Amino acid sequence: MVTIDLSKLSVREANAAFGAAGERGEDIEVLNPDARHHIGVGLVAPVTVKVRGSAGYFCAGLSHGARFEIDSNVGWGVGDSLYEGAVIVGGNAGAIAGVGLRGGEVVVKGNLGSRGGQVMKAGTLLACGNAGFLAGYMMYGGRIIILGNSGERVGEDMSAGEIYVGGEVQSLGSDAKLVEPSEADIASVKAFLTKYGIDFSGTFKKIVNAGTKLRYGVNEPVSRPLPHTVFSEADTYWNAKVAEDIHAKSLIGRYRIRGYGASKPVPHFGDIALKIDPARVAAASDALAKVKLATKIGDRHGAKPLELSMPVMIAPMSYGALSKSTKIALARASRLAGIVENTGEGGMLDEQRAEAKQLIFQCLSGRLGWNIHDMRRADGIEIYISQGAKPGLGGQLMAKKVTKELARVRGIPEGIDLRSPSRHPDIMGADDLVIKVEEFREATAYSKPISIKMGAGRVRDDIKIAYKDGFDFVQLDGLQGSTGAASTEVLENVGIPTLAAIQEALDGLREIDAKGDMPIVLMGGIKDGVDAVKALALGASAVAMGTAAIIAGGCISCMQCHVGNCVVGIATQDPEHEARYQIDVQSKAIARFFEVVRWQIATLVAALGYDDFRDLSRDDLVALTPEAAAITGLPYDPTWADKAEALFREVA
Amino acid sequence: MCGIAGIFFKTPGSNQVLGRALVDMLDGCQHRGPDSTGFALYEDDVEGLRLRFLVEDDAEGSIARIRAALAEHGATIAKERREGATFVVDVHYDGEIRPFSYAMEHAAKLVSIGTALDIVKDVGTSHDLDATYRIGEIRGSHGIGHVRLATESDVKPESAHPFWATGFADVAIVHNGQITNYWKMRRRLEARGFEFRTDNDSELIAVYVADKLAQGVKLETALEQSVDDLDGTFSFLVSTKDGIGFAKDRLAAKPMVMFEDDGLVAIASEEVSLNRLFPGRPLSTTEPAPGTFRTWSRSI
Repeated sequence: MVTIDLSKLSVREANAAFGAAGERGEDIEVLNPDARHHIGVGLVAPVTVKVRGSAGYFCAGLSHGARFEIDSNVGWGVGDSLYEGAVIVGGNAGAIAGVGLRGGEVVVKGNLGSRGGQVMKAGTLLACGNAGFLAGYMMYGGRIIILGNSGERVGEDMSAGEIYVGGEVQSLGSDAKLVEPSEADIASVKAFLTKYGIDFSGTFKKIVNAGTKLRYGVNEPVSRPLPHTVFSEADTYWNAKVAEDIHAKSLIGRYRIRGYGASKPVPHFGDIALKIDPARVAAASDALAKVKLATKIGDRHGAKPLELSMPVMIAPMSYGALSKSTKIALARASRLAGIVENTGEGGMLDEQRAEAKQLIFQCLSGRLGWNIHDMRRADGIEIYISQGAKPGLGGQLMAKKVTKELARVRGIPEGIDLRSPSRHPDIMGADDLVIKVEEFREATAYSKPISIKMGAGRVRDDIKIAYKDGFDFVQLDGLQGSTGAASTEVLENVGIPTLAAIQEALDGLREIDAKGDMPIVLMGGIKDGVDAVKALALGASAVAMGTAAIIAGGCISCMQCHVGNCVVGIATQDPEHEARYQIDVQSKAIARFFEVVRWQIATLVAALGYDDFRDLSRDDLVALTPEAAAITGLPYDPTWADKAEALFREVA
Repeated sequence: MCGIAGIFFKTPGSNQVLGRALVDMLDGCQHRGPDSTGFALYEDDVEGLRLRFLVEDDAEGSIARIRAALAEHGATIAKERREGATFVVDVHYDGEIRPFSYAMEHAAKLVSIGTALDIVKDVGTSHDLDATYRIGEIRGSHGIGHVRLATESDVKPESAHPFWATGFADVAIVHNGQITNYWKMRRRLEARGFEFRTDNDSELIAVYVADKLAQGVKLETALEQSVDDLDGTFSFLVSTKDGIGFAKDRLAAKPMVMFEDDGLVAIASEEVSLNRLFPGRPLSTTEPAPGTFRTWSRSI
């Protein structure tokens, strides 16, 4: 037995010692815990940890195989995303006990705070006392046993799993219902109580999903929609697309869902120009050999940085929205191009991990596919707050795409219209977020960059929070960013344009004297190396491309992404459709496209007279429209418009 | 976005280690708010009425204006001192507080007025403020404190918590959360003649509660009504000359843990702050339920 005294060691030192003891198979005793956070986070070893007192937030979080015995209370998120193992709490637990459980058992001898078992997938959470508000909120599976009273709105928006209540059911949540437990149910619950030496002689009520909200009631009419690329509000008010939209809504009586991003005209990179004489492009013919494009990102706090052969990444897109074959092709292309791939929502694939040299692992609100093992084999960890296509909302994945394999990776029931939560269970504000970031650092031994993905809303405030909460970099996504599925109203109308987003971000950082201290990776409608150079000159440290990479890899913009009927096998989980996707061909096509992006960036940087992309600055830009000038603060000079067009012809 | 803490000593007499307790509790949750820190302390050495002003820019000019304004309103100075970014003055004054405080605010940035209350807040950590203002040495009966991570308003001493209920002596609040019907509530109070010094939603709670108290509503009732009237996510602590209280929103989105024994009541965002008062001791704590409120008072 190793004894660790937290009045003498920091939690970081203690967790390192836990890991070492775990490797030796030694049990651990923790003295003077005094409700400190992150005790035992990321411990992967079949040992026993006895905590002599109270623990703070995320005790035993992201652990696998250990048995934790805490004498007194625990704070928020005990057993967060536990994979396997047991956590026994002698006193009370704060909010979101057992959040995102993937397995294992969390036993609380006292009461649960609010939202116990939120988004849990498997395993058992037991409260010997009462549960608080919203127990089982949005749970996807597993079992909650409450020996006391249920709290208000128990089982709110659960999609699967079981809740047993020994006391009073104070009120049922939305889409939850009471059913009669079977004898086998009761026997299994009693066996669990016996295993932990708990006497209970009462009866149980059982709560399950009522099935009224798992699927949209009415499907959209099957039609051949107008492709995204011809959709424009600019032509007329009453155009064919508007009429199609009204017609569809008159049939389904609800908001519509589609893929891709905002398509209405907003000020964008075409409205600003690089101050380059087109004649200089020819002189920059050997730019690739001369211009420094390699960069590193993510070592602001001492983590091992991501290494980019040029300031470009692949934007986060999920296995789910996209087929496995597409994710493999993107991962391979990222390796060929020397850049970074991102898992997006919904977990990591073995094939994707193997193909990508560098891979960012995203953590979303539903904690779909989230686990310690994939965190450890990732090269970066990213907390998704929102995306440009739908700021403030969770992901959507329609039933046709929620296949058996996908449901297994994500830890959810098969065949539901999956609507991910709009908020993280444990990030209700900047104050909680800082504790979450620290948890991920503890779980990965401070070795991996931790980034935040944010959709552009109130960027000026949000960027300051990201800086203060200690992120290594920010992935900032403007209104024009795409998605696999979102409501059309949100796609078109929520968020601010990419140009405005980067400007607000830089202004916000300057206001707290932090400009240049935290890299910003800009995305949202960045089509090519020309846009990329403009973004870099404005102040982005790198850009990310999603839609462009998908189109390079065969997308025909047919607008069937959300339905899952993508004919070329990209935005689908239908094996017949996916079989059409040729990973080898398309990964090379995507990689070739990125080589053009590289050439464009190098050529434009050289044509400006620089030999390093970091020399780019706002002085290299002008605004071609009054709107773009107002947004960016760049000088308004429409006389550059003709040269910009000529320049584009030179490098396009 | 913040951490909050409060302590109320039940034992008679007010000569308790108030400052030290709050410095330690706020240090325990400083990770929730590294930008600024503040204390509302109820002390027994206030002579008459204590006023604390921020006098960072043009301190001499501000102090001259304060002295002139005090004289104009018939307040006589009993004692005064400069401390950190502030000017503290104890005065004898018998008139109405609200017009007096609005007038004083025109002289300089007024932080608080009280017959026992003294609000000390500044940019920096709990230990930073302790070093500048010697908080740890302050003895008293009860108090509340706050660590702040600025999200929507500036990092300036006047944007830090606690907020004094401008116009009402001895009332202060600290708040963790976001009031989403802020402007609606503020316009209602403004229509009735209240003035606001910041756009910070926490100031609104202070004025809201003080207004209720001024109408003769008991603190407990005011807190009960606040759970209905205020929209959004909140856990807040309020303090008056006699005691402290808390209210918590129905969504239970913001944490709050409390500990009570025969000698004291301690409330904080996180148990780690409570444990700072009792190192090495497992505490029997409780988490207030959503939509609840409670008060502790010496006068009852």
